Amino acid sequence: MGDIRYYAGVDIGSTMTKVVIVSDRIETALIGPTGPEHRKLANKVMEEALKQARLRFEDLSYIVATGYGRINVPFADRQITEITCHAKGLYSLLPTVKTIIDIGGQDSKGIRIKDGKVINFVMNDKCAAGTGRFLEVIADSLGVPLNDLGKLSLEASRATPISSTCTVFAEHEVTNQLANGESVANLVAGVHESIATRVYSLVRKLQIEKDIAVTGGGAKNIGLVKALEGKFGSPVLIPPEPLITGALGAALLGKEKWEKARLDGYTPTRSKEGLQEAKLFT
Amino acid sequence: MAEEKKRRAVATKTAAGIPKFVRGNLSATLRAKEEGKKVAKAFIHDGHDEIMRAMDIVPAWGESFSGVCAAKRDAEKFLQKAESDNFSRSLCTYATCHIGFEMAREEQGGAMPEGAPWGGMGRPDMILGNGQLLCDPRFKWPQALQHYLRDVPVFVTNMYYPPWDPNVDHHEQEKFYVKYCTEELHETVKFCEKVTGKKMDWDRLAAVVDLSDKTWDLFVDTYDLRKAIPTPMDTGDAMNTMVPITFNIGTQEAYDFYVELNNELKEKIAQGIGVADPEKYRLIWAAGLPSWFALNDFQYFNGKGAVFPVEVTYRDHEKIERLDLPKTNDPLERIAWRWVRYWTHWYDAARKIPGSTPKVARIIEYFEDYKCDGVVFHSAFSCRSWHAGIIHQAEVLRKVYKDIPILIMEGDIVDISSYNEADTHNRIDAFIETLEAYRNKQKN
Repeated sequence: MGDIRYYAGVDIGSTMTKVVIVSDRIETALIGPTGPEHRKLANKVMEEALKQARLRFEDLSYIVATGYGRINVPFADRQITEITCHAKGLYSLLPTVKTIIDIGGQDSKGIRIKDGKVINFVMNDKCAAGTGRFLEVIADSLGVPLNDLGKLSLEASRATPISSTCTVFAEHEVTNQLANGESVANLVAGVHESIATRVYSLVRKLQIEKDIAVTGGGAKNIGLVKALEGKFGSPVLIPPEPLITGALGAALLGKEKWEKARLDGYTPTRSKEGLQEAKLFT
Repeated sequence: MAEEKKRRAVATKTAAGIPKFVRGNLSATLRAKEEGKKVAKAFIHDGHDEIMRAMDIVPAWGESFSGVCAAKRDAEKFLQKAESDNFSRSLCTYATCHIGFEMAREEQGGAMPEGAPWGGMGRPDMILGNGQLLCDPRFKWPQALQHYLRDVPVFVTNMYYPPWDPNVDHHEQEKFYVKYCTEELHETVKFCEKVTGKKMDWDRLAAVVDLSDKTWDLFVDTYDLRKAIPTPMDTGDAMNTMVPITFNIGTQEAYDFYVELNNELKEKIAQGIGVADPEKYRLIWAAGLPSWFALNDFQYFNGKGAVFPVEVTYRDHEKIERLDLPKTNDPLERIAWRWVRYWTHWYDAARKIPGSTPKVARIIEYFEDYKCDGVVFHSAFSCRSWHAGIIHQAEVLRKVYKDIPILIMEGDIVDISSYNEADTHNRIDAFIETLEAYRNKQKN
């Protein structure tokens, strides 16, 4: 290994688990499902990532866990919230960004950053509207694969207004519209418009400044991204892999922490747990 | 995990006496009948406290009752009861919880609803309200209550004070407001005399008002001790220690409580005992009633080294000298002056900052005096009087202090269905990290 040091970030989101390993560059990035059975198995995703990077667990100098499940990572040396990690990760990829919109599986967030540091944030964690969950429910109802929603919405002649903000009632409204003969593409475009409206009303509580970036699963949906651009009145930037910014930030913060500790003349405290599954669920 | 478990925060011993006050206030309403006293359904910060104390009227505090239900996580049955009669969940949940309780009791022919916390609250003989400017349910709560308590007389006063207008000098108007308030208070006395069949003892009232003034001074002196670094007392404690001044003002017990608290805080300061060890961040609780069912969240902050040496909520008192009250022999006029001057005494400071408001001027004063690092608001969705304006206040603060860390928490005072502990703690964690980043930036 020579003098190269490796640092890992583990982001346990509500639907996906992400692992990024960095040295002076991104060594590897891996995405796996979180799901009920996988929630305790962050170790499996880590093992896979290590295998992909041809590294051993012992080669990692520091590990930071983030995301909602960050306390379920016994082998992590430190836990940092996804707000701070997203800011750090995104700033490393797109340093001109000042406002981040993260649309995750079960929440959405707005983060204002300055010089890579968080100066303000807002979170929608009370309601599924405005989150990936909303899209999942509607995709299911329309019988369209989640990954096809974005492209399909680009074929729409108009965005059908969806007036219900509640996910359950919106699903009902979409089903009724479908029965009335409205096209699936128009309905999907309407759903994107509805999510974009919710996200905009959340994020405008921050003093929005350009550039704006979108991360999370929502960033992979071209239709939603276009709807967001319309609401924010500005093009948005998307990182090359919008799901890994949190894990990347976690790895970089781990690197920063380790290097600062060494400069200050001490070795940072490490977890005594090995690469094992979380015991919280057993 | 590698992160170390932080030491539990240190609460004041004096605050441990608060449940006795709250239970005492509730049981006083239950004992009143046999003691030949009248019970008044009353509201805090209505200016009626001294009148009730001087006439031996026992106050039944709806807000306190609902807060106790919430703290015991047992408000749902009363909220649902009120909801069954079309009181929306988005109305003040202090009001709807209390109304639901009274509805349940009336339906049971006056029998105390099962599971009413701490024995419940006595049925009122009168309802004293005040359509003041602080809180909009005050106009309708008494009327809505009388819908179920048909035989209970209601008297609602209007204790207004000059509304905030940056272009109007309120000093020119205040004497008219004082005159109006004084007359309203005299009418309140007449109403109370009619219901109780007793005459007001004006000398006793004057003594009660003097005792209140003394308590105001002692309360502020005591809370000012929290400026010490590390602070010896947190807002989590203050949400308890507010009880005597909020619900028992004008009584010797309230005054004595703050003597004891004052002594304890001085001792803690002398010994260097702080709420958090080490104290890393000092925060102001800048607006909003707390989630009574989640007061442990303050300890969560404390566990991260963040303390609240000061709060706006329930600190609705000031050094009497600062209010510069004109002399008068009428104790009711004294109450009126104190009322009007208290609610307007940040107006002058607010005029000096363009776009500011008295609420922001007050936050700035505390922020500076208590050497705070960040600001926390709680937006309780059913409490419109606090909820509205929080974002504006945060924006003005950002204009003054630039990138100052501000957290807006979301929840409710009574309705636990609005609350998610994991998400709340996640937000607090992110806020603490923001405070750390802000501090590092200031250092560099």
